[in-house]
Amino acid sequence: MSNPRKLPAALLLAVAPLLAAAPSRAATAPASIEAVELPSSSSPLVSLRLQFDAGSIYDPPGKEGLAALTGLMLAEAGTQKRTYSDLIEALYPMAASIGLNTDREVTLISGTVHRDQLDSYTALLEEALLHPGFAESDFKRNKEQLLAFLTDTLRSGSDELLGLEALQDRIFAGHPYGHAPAGTVESLQRLTLDDVKAFYKERFTQGALLLGVAGGYPQGYVDRLKHDLAALPAGQNGRKPLPPLPKVSGRNFTLIEKQTASVGIHFGFPLPINRGDPDYFPLMVANSYLGEHRTFYGKLMTELRGERGLNYGDYSYIEYWFFPPGTDYPTPNVPRRQQYFSVWIRPVVPADAQFALRAGLYEVEKLHDQGMTKEDFEATRDLLINYSKLWAQTLDTRLGFLMDSKLYGMPSYFDEIEKRLKTMTVDEVNAAARKYLDPASFEAVVVTNNAVPFKATLQKDEPSSKKYESQVAPSVLEADKTIQALAVKPTKIDIVPIDQVFQK
Amino acid sequence: MLFRTSLALLSLLFVAIAGGAATPQSAPGDVFPFTTYETTLDNGLRVVTIPYDSPGIVAYYLVVRTGARDEVEAGHSGFAHFFEHMMFRGTDKYSQDTYTGLIKRMGANSNASTWDDKTIYRLIGPSRELATMMDVESDRFQNLKYDEEGFRTESRAVLGEYNKGASSPFLPMQEKLRDLAFDKHTYKHSTIGFLADIKAMPGYYQYSLGFFKRFYRPENVTLLVVGDVKRETVEALAKQYYGGWKKGYEPASIPAEPEQTAQRQAHLDWPAPVHPLAMMAWHTPAHSATSVDSAALDLIAEVVFGETSPLYRDLVVEKQWVDLLDGDADPHRDPYLFTVTVRAKSDDLLPKAQQAIDDAIATLQKQPVDAARLERIKSHQRYAFALGLSSAPAIASRAAQTIALDGEVSSLNQRFATYQKVTPADIQRVARAIFSPQNETIVTLSHAAAKAQGATGGAAHE
Repeated sequence: MSNPRKLPAALLLAVAPLLAAAPSRAATAPASIEAVELPSSSSPLVSLRLQFDAGSIYDPPGKEGLAALTGLMLAEAGTQKRTYSDLIEALYPMAASIGLNTDREVTLISGTVHRDQLDSYTALLEEALLHPGFAESDFKRNKEQLLAFLTDTLRSGSDELLGLEALQDRIFAGHPYGHAPAGTVESLQRLTLDDVKAFYKERFTQGALLLGVAGGYPQGYVDRLKHDLAALPAGQNGRKPLPPLPKVSGRNFTLIEKQTASVGIHFGFPLPINRGDPDYFPLMVANSYLGEHRTFYGKLMTELRGERGLNYGDYSYIEYWFFPPGTDYPTPNVPRRQQYFSVWIRPVVPADAQFALRAGLYEVEKLHDQGMTKEDFEATRDLLINYSKLWAQTLDTRLGFLMDSKLYGMPSYFDEIEKRLKTMTVDEVNAAARKYLDPASFEAVVVTNNAVPFKATLQKDEPSSKKYESQVAPSVLEADKTIQALAVKPTKIDIVPIDQVFQK
Repeated sequence: MLFRTSLALLSLLFVAIAGGAATPQSAPGDVFPFTTYETTLDNGLRVVTIPYDSPGIVAYYLVVRTGARDEVEAGHSGFAHFFEHMMFRGTDKYSQDTYTGLIKRMGANSNASTWDDKTIYRLIGPSRELATMMDVESDRFQNLKYDEEGFRTESRAVLGEYNKGASSPFLPMQEKLRDLAFDKHTYKHSTIGFLADIKAMPGYYQYSLGFFKRFYRPENVTLLVVGDVKRETVEALAKQYYGGWKKGYEPASIPAEPEQTAQRQAHLDWPAPVHPLAMMAWHTPAHSATSVDSAALDLIAEVVFGETSPLYRDLVVEKQWVDLLDGDADPHRDPYLFTVTVRAKSDDLLPKAQQAIDDAIATLQKQPVDAARLERIKSHQRYAFALGLSSAPAIASRAAQTIALDGEVSSLNQRFATYQKVTPADIQRVARAIFSPQNETIVTLSHAAAKAQGATGGAAHE
């Protein structure tokens, strides 16, 4: 069941961090703005995607949230010529808006408009981007939006978003990816309008921009747009170098304690590859078999939900997954050079928490140790070749994936999927699972009302007792014997009260 | 006129199937510009085909006009949604595993959603697999078969679904608002159902079998196919696979809601620190695509609460008392609610924001909205709708919502034509009729440690 409600754009922020890809470009003066074009003369729409290397990795220490706040001051604030209300009023008749998403590596400013309105829309977008007003009142409003995202949406509104975001904080602790793009409660208090102005000048430059244009735009439009955007500071090409991928040692648990009726579980670890690596594609097949997002065919889903009725859903990922409301497929324009593997076990009743953790871990271990059969491999490979065709059904998303492809160093992600999968063997897939999906070490985040007793349960590591209200298949009960006794062997267990999460 | 697809030639290929006539529908000025073919099989199943340029992809939807609204028996709230889960549990011909395997082989996306008035099943996948889709989908709609054990296991997934939403304050607020606003009508409960009813679900196996027989019948269902397909193929396959489905729909007898005569209020405490929230709701007439009053309510949502409204400018942008302001006429088959949701930045500001909302409504009741602004809002509605029609599933989704509400895709265009007729005087008249204190229900929520002012009652959430 779903009944998506309209959410303020800022609520989307920080659910998603940003950017990925090929090796860093050398820091040189830009020759011109890079652009990806996807013309379609029959389309009545035009989509613009302006992706800046201006994600949260560029937040200065202690000023976490600055990239996101600067983005908001461009997309949801007034300009030098008009107030924010007047900007909304001007966009309103064309039903257009200036979209914003700030992730770890990039900030995306985007919009789709009917081609009849392209000139008017472009003028407004340029006005917002090139001549921001930076009004004190907009600054206050946008800062409070970010704060409300942390306190109301993450801490008090959705245990699931809370867990997904907190897991990244844990996996990338001490790394530039290690804080939410929305910042922390304390860092937001420290941000000033001068910080925003300085960040804007430094990061929103021609050199940091990858421009994407798709749809029924007229000839010469992209050149005109590039010419106008040349008013941005030149800046430099090249992304900030990242430190080596973090190392996770042992099995570390963070139990987030808050008043809640159920228990949400996430675990994961850094992955040394991204889409640009040849091993990514066999690993993609292995992961799809284990837990393709929001489908019913993954092992996690069929075993935990289908056979055992433990919860609503169970999935796994080999890259960061952005969850805008209502989407089942991967979302483009959140590229990252460094990625992580993760398992998402949706909320379970407290009595099942330890068992559900073990059941998830069991499936990962089984895939890692035993691999998949040739039949399962073939079915999953065929699935992905077809299923991936659903991921970019609009020009707008196709454009986004093309921009991602450029950053990951390939002509087209979807062509690459098809090409690689068609010649792939089960051995390659199983080798990739063995190489990359070893759950011997991981970070886990558990959102629970009973952190102290759950910590004791984890420490004792005694067999779980799983009771079913219904009769389940004998094969399930047989597997349960192994799952119930699976040794988790936690290395470290921290309890963090909810008011300390995203605090500092 | 946006997204005009010139498929007029296809009308030459007109053929009638079974008892129904296929009628291509699309006229100049239509906001939903796609040529739409509708036909009805002898057993009452409507078949709607919308060819669309989505190379190799088809969106295959089944719209069942049954939802939480049909849950008239006490203790069975949430059952329509639970039953939606059971529809994935297999048949003699295609077991759950076989079904899942077929979906996987196709590389399709298969899921379903349940609301108050409808349950919508969707399958998005390769158009070359249309016959397979027809085969497996028609099979489960006619021959669903599951045992009691599978039923009980699946009921726990529903509990999990409730739990995943329960960490949001909006869930208990919605629950309380409906419970308070409705005395008789089944809109009293949310789609997911009351927690106590969800916990009792494992015991209702026999009831579930009856549910299938009563509601999953061709007269109550529309097959909607959008994308890279030919209308003749869709209709011929539909006849082949769904033609043998037996009639037998038994509509639920849904009690009418008596008129509300006094304002109702409740306050909920929330265990975690959270900005205070209010939902203010007024009973409204049932949705009708041709009713000016019904259309006026949608426009009022924009006039008073939209981003360009004086109220939004005042509360969100200038005074910055609130960070969430939303007005929603949420169309339903039976009389429902116009709901305003507001989140204030501190406990003392919530009653002030509520007063400002009341004042904005009072202003609308006294002075007609500026005619030019109303026209801008209508233009915005059309563009916003058209911009959303960008893929086969997006088009199918909008068509499915309309089918569920009105029974026909054509009412989408009727609805937009009705918007055009709405005048400032209509807006004022409807505002006066709907937004009265005796017709209003208010639910507020705040952190337990804080004291919300201006709210009464003391209901606690579960």
